[in-house]
Amino acid sequence: MSFSVSDMIFAIINFLVLLAILNKFLFKPLLKTMDARQAEIKQDLDAAAEANAAAQKTQEEYLQQMEQAKVEARQIIEKATKIGEKTKEELIIQAREESAQMTEKAREMIRLEKEEALNQLRDEVSSLVVLAAGKVIDETLDQKAHKKLVHKCIAEVGDAS
Amino acid sequence: MFATPVYAATAESGAEHGGALFTLFGLEVNSVTTTTWGLMLIFVVVGFLATRKLERIPTRRLQVGLEMLLETLINFFADIMGSREKAKRYIPLIGTFFVFILMCNYSGLLPGAGHIPGLQAPTSTWSVTAAFAIVVFFATHYYGVKEHGWRYFKHFAEPVFILLPLNIIGEFTKPLSLSLRLFGNIFGEEMVVAGIFSIIPLIVPVPLQFLSLLLGFIQALVFSLLASVYIATATAEHS
Repeated sequence: MSFSVSDMIFAIINFLVLLAILNKFLFKPLLKTMDARQAEIKQDLDAAAEANAAAQKTQEEYLQQMEQAKVEARQIIEKATKIGEKTKEELIIQAREESAQMTEKAREMIRLEKEEALNQLRDEVSSLVVLAAGKVIDETLDQKAHKKLVHKCIAEVGDAS
Repeated sequence: MFATPVYAATAESGAEHGGALFTLFGLEVNSVTTTTWGLMLIFVVVGFLATRKLERIPTRRLQVGLEMLLETLINFFADIMGSREKAKRYIPLIGTFFVFILMCNYSGLLPGAGHIPGLQAPTSTWSVTAAFAIVVFFATHYYGVKEHGWRYFKHFAEPVFILLPLNIIGEFTKPLSLSLRLFGNIFGEEMVVAGIFSIIPLIVPVPLQFLSLLLGFIQALVFSLLASVYIATATAEHS
């Protein structure tokens, strides 16, 4: 076994040169790429987790809103139903009152009409009676006095009937 | 060494097989150095191809494979060093040690390795493993000082001052054992393979070659594991 100083010096220089070259052209770029990838993956995963959490929160909010909306809708429907019922009852009462009023009015009108007709009839009848009686007795009576007489007579008849 | 026709002759020479190929800046360039250069070239080409177009979502097998390897190494050393951040910080050094030593060990399994000039497993010589251990030694104390400042050296005199010389000897023993373990294992394994090969060159060396694959992996792992332990210890928070 012998020892060559030349070999040793060359080996040291060679190794250092190789180390420098590999460090610059292999280790550093490779480590950089790997680190960058790792960082990117971590970032992506973090972002995904964040997005997931946000989505879940939104969904929960949405569900909550849905629930609230359902409750509100139910309340609105109940309220509307109540109002509807109330209005219906009011309308029915009003209609009844109106129809009663109208009936009353109609009756009144019929009564008045009837009275007027009766009056007219009385007038007509009394005139006719006076005329007929005049012709019968052939004597012209004072029309006014006779009318009065006849009216009195009819009134008595009416009262009697 | 392998100049002699019998492979068993390897045992006598080892490092300076074939002698110097040529000289560069006054330093001898041996087969281990040229093999190292070849491996470096492969590493640089693979590294360049792998990181030429890095994708956030990788589709190319090369990137996926290297990322898996890196991730495995980081996880493995994170367990040893205590934290993932620490493993990531020192993975360029430790990871380079692991893959480089692994390939150095495996280069000895190539056909003709150790026999043809210019190709020899670098880790089968103490010169190279010592070089690696020296790098570990300086890296350890560099990171220790970087982490704790100059008071890092105070812990050598703890818990009692009298232990200072022992601690210092211990620190220098670490690279020695580190380099000798790697060198001894790989060199020894090559000797065994060469020896068996010289006796029965057919079929019988095959299981041994598989054993060499396992051994080369274990030694690369042990070396980088110990390096990571040393660095983790040096940079650990002292209570």
